[in-house]
Amino acid sequence: MAEWSDVWLVVPVYNEAQVIGDVVRHARQTFPNIVCVDDGSADASAERIHEAGAHLVRHPVNLGQGAAIQTGVSYAKSRPGAKYFVTFDADGQHQVDDVVRMLKRLQAEELDIVVGTRFLAGADTSHIPWIKRLVLKTVVMLSPRTRRLGLTDAHNGLRVFNRTVADTLNITINGMGHASEFVELIDHHHWKVAEESVTILYTEYSMAKGQSLINGVNIVFDSVMRTGSRR
Amino acid sequence: MLIKILLILAVVLLILLFLRHHGKSNTAAGVKIGFAVFMVFGVVAVLLPNAVSEVANFVGVGRGTDLLLYGLVVAFGFATINTFLRFKELELRYAKLVRAVALQNSTVPEEKAPEPSDA
Repeated sequence: MAEWSDVWLVVPVYNEAQVIGDVVRHARQTFPNIVCVDDGSADASAERIHEAGAHLVRHPVNLGQGAAIQTGVSYAKSRPGAKYFVTFDADGQHQVDDVVRMLKRLQAEELDIVVGTRFLAGADTSHIPWIKRLVLKTVVMLSPRTRRLGLTDAHNGLRVFNRTVADTLNITINGMGHASEFVELIDHHHWKVAEESVTILYTEYSMAKGQSLINGVNIVFDSVMRTGSRR
Repeated sequence: MLIKILLILAVVLLILLFLRHHGKSNTAAGVKIGFAVFMVFGVVAVLLPNAVSEVANFVGVGRGTDLLLYGLVVAFGFATINTFLRFKELELRYAKLVRAVALQNSTVPEEKAPEPSDA
């Protein structure tokens, strides 16, 4: 569909050869422009991405998801006609329908960025593993910035944003801590932000691949470190 | 005791350095000065061990050796944090390099338009 030709999906990929082909093919039924950033995968991710018809940018070495997203956005905004940008997970957790809804909202309400949330009031969270729910909610509670912005889900990988955000975006945390950095950037640049309820599909594959909770320690550490550095 | 104040001050300085490390050239210069002072101190300590003990007594530490140990712990802390910050900075540069290489070698899919999908 030419409808979304000004939208770019940015998909960070690290060793997702099993699923990335299907994820890209499925997303391409709606969104013609997809850039996958292969973050130094050791498996056949790059081939699968190319077969599926997405643009491919390859990190020669593994850097981390934050760095991959930044690379993808840098690539996407250099493409002619790119107006909207979406960060989308490679493991099939995210729904294309959610993205469409978020895009429409971004355009209708003239927002700068719409982030996905699993915890909007009244949302059914029963499909989310309870320990995950607990940790994610604790993270939000501990972050005054997240609360001030009225965000309920600090670590949702699904985001839709416009050119303003893409042009200023500068993710410096290479690893998983970039989600907090996103929140910090929203706050710092006073971007107009809204949340949209999204469904995350917890498949066995994504659960095994997803970040372990112990990694939360790394995220907290990265975030604390960030508080000191100046932009 | 004076040593307590000095040690706590050192730890506070460490934390400050850890959290606010802008002005990178300043920190680098500080490290060099610190190293020079350390070398002078080393020579003095070897030539006049009693002087070290006297300084130790002055700041409220029993023996010169203990003072040396405390100093070493603090110096180690500084060195570790300095290395850590250096690594962080390098990591960022490295990421920029990787990004530049990746963007140069990007692959555009063959077919221009997406295949007419059945969905």
